[in-house]
Amino acid sequence: MRRAKAFSPTMILSYAVLLLGAFFVIYPFFYMINNSVKTGQEIMHSPTALPEKIVFTGYTGVFDELDVMLLFKNSVFLAGSITILNTIFSALAAYAFAKIPFPGRDRIFGFMLLTMMIPGVLFLIPTYVLMYRIGWVGHFEALIVPSIVSVFNIFLIRQFMSGIPDELVEAARIDGAGEMVIFTRIILPLARPALATVAILTFMGSWNDFFGPLLYLNRPEQWTLQLGLLQFRGTVPGENAQQIWALTTIITVPIVVVYFFIQEQFVKAFANVSLSK
Amino acid sequence: MSAIAAEGQNSIASASTKRHTTLLHRMRRNWWGYVFVSPWVILYIVFGIYPLILSFFLTFFNYSFVNPENRQFVGIGNWVRGIEDPLFWKAIFNIVLNQSVFIFLKNGLGLLIASLLFNIKFGGRLLRTIYFLPVITSTVVLMTIGDNLASPGGPIQKYLIDLHLLDGPFFWKSEETWPMIVIALINTWKWFGISTVILLAGMYSIDARLYEAAAVDGANGWQMFTYITLPTLKPQLFFLLVVDVINGLQMFGEVFSIGFNVYGGINNQALTPVLYLYAQAFDRSNVGFASTLGLLLAYIIAALTFLQFKFFRTNEN
Repeated sequence: MRRAKAFSPTMILSYAVLLLGAFFVIYPFFYMINNSVKTGQEIMHSPTALPEKIVFTGYTGVFDELDVMLLFKNSVFLAGSITILNTIFSALAAYAFAKIPFPGRDRIFGFMLLTMMIPGVLFLIPTYVLMYRIGWVGHFEALIVPSIVSVFNIFLIRQFMSGIPDELVEAARIDGAGEMVIFTRIILPLARPALATVAILTFMGSWNDFFGPLLYLNRPEQWTLQLGLLQFRGTVPGENAQQIWALTTIITVPIVVVYFFIQEQFVKAFANVSLSK
Repeated sequence: MSAIAAEGQNSIASASTKRHTTLLHRMRRNWWGYVFVSPWVILYIVFGIYPLILSFFLTFFNYSFVNPENRQFVGIGNWVRGIEDPLFWKAIFNIVLNQSVFIFLKNGLGLLIASLLFNIKFGGRLLRTIYFLPVITSTVVLMTIGDNLASPGGPIQKYLIDLHLLDGPFFWKSEETWPMIVIALINTWKWFGISTVILLAGMYSIDARLYEAAAVDGANGWQMFTYITLPTLKPQLFFLLVVDVINGLQMFGEVFSIGFNVYGGINNQALTPVLYLYAQAFDRSNVGFASTLGLLLAYIIAALTFLQFKFFRTNEN
């Protein structure tokens, strides 16, 4: 099956279907960027045409109407702090599960995996009640603190750390190195690929999340880019439609740029998830 | 006789104290392990177990965020109300329709694209990168684009009218069932890249000699696909199905970000269970009832997951 000839009809058909698929995937992004540099009038009359003249009124307009820098700052702060904290604390737990034979370890790990099967909808209301009671509604803590560590990330990093030879850790212990030293000097450098994967997935998740911020960040000065777009979209008149496309482009570009630099690891992360089951 | 028994008891006792001391010893020697996992344990007790208990407790009360002291015990009233609520069942119908279309298309497309990628020699990596673009893009952005492309007077409808497949502008958002189908199509576009990557990884783990032997026996491509590829991909397909059902039945952000209100439109044509729960909790302030809806949905999800595991096991044997 894999040895098909380079120019066989099946091969040509395969490429035809794959390229058609790629076209359908890329076109909406092209549509978005294309319309972000047109005028509102042009978008209304010919949404799919190339711009008669490239204009940046969408970008300047959205910066006038909306404090984009503030939204950007909030998004970076939220996604950044969650990513850093979560990667560190998940790696700590993963190290314990992979390399420290403390009694009860396998039971705790098994229980932890089971919790992944509980549908998230169950936590929605009671967590809000809890946040309301401790006064975190309207504060970034409500989103950051519960995300300090996550089962999925512990699991991913642990799978990777299990591959590091035990002898390495044992030797360091015999030399009198403490667990903290072993973790920071030996394990962390070796686990860098897994940490990168987890950091990327976490960053993407919180950068793209709109529901958490919608629930908990109710003052406009706390809004993230996603929330800004959601609220802004409804207020823009048709003749300024280019502003919407400018904003969606601004939101999408950072994550796509990050993705292109590290896409191999990114794609592997998703494939690993199912294989390690 | 009694001496022997006493001796026996003695040795049991000493063995158990010995095991006890070694356990303590091992705990003490590995205490860093507990320190390192404690952040997760503490957070899970506070933001996992406590909310779960609270959620169950709340189902027996009428409760509002604004006025928590004024809660009222209603027994199983919320449960009866949930089971009898036609809107909840409409939401269930909507989500089942939406997810049937979505899961079938997303995994079918993923399987097709993965087998084609598996066959080609050049450009596979670039294509895979491209297919993954929607996966990393935010739901709000994708729904904004999808909504615009599919809107009456938008490019897709214009094209369909030019082809005479559509008579005139089609206001699908105010129709019954259509919003769920359009959202399923947009979601297929967003997520098929994941199925592709997972199934492709599965295909690469298949022993190439199986295909060679089949080729020697004169099997064609389709036969190899149905007799070798598909059966070996069963674990991956099962994994995708289980995860899709658990996540899919909780879908609601898409409905919200494509521009419906929290009731899924005037006729609730796009209402999903979690959206309904959200509306009850945050718009109507019926927190107890909303908690009940969450538990009802969780039971449905658990039942479906259980059934899938059961079918998978029986098929295995």
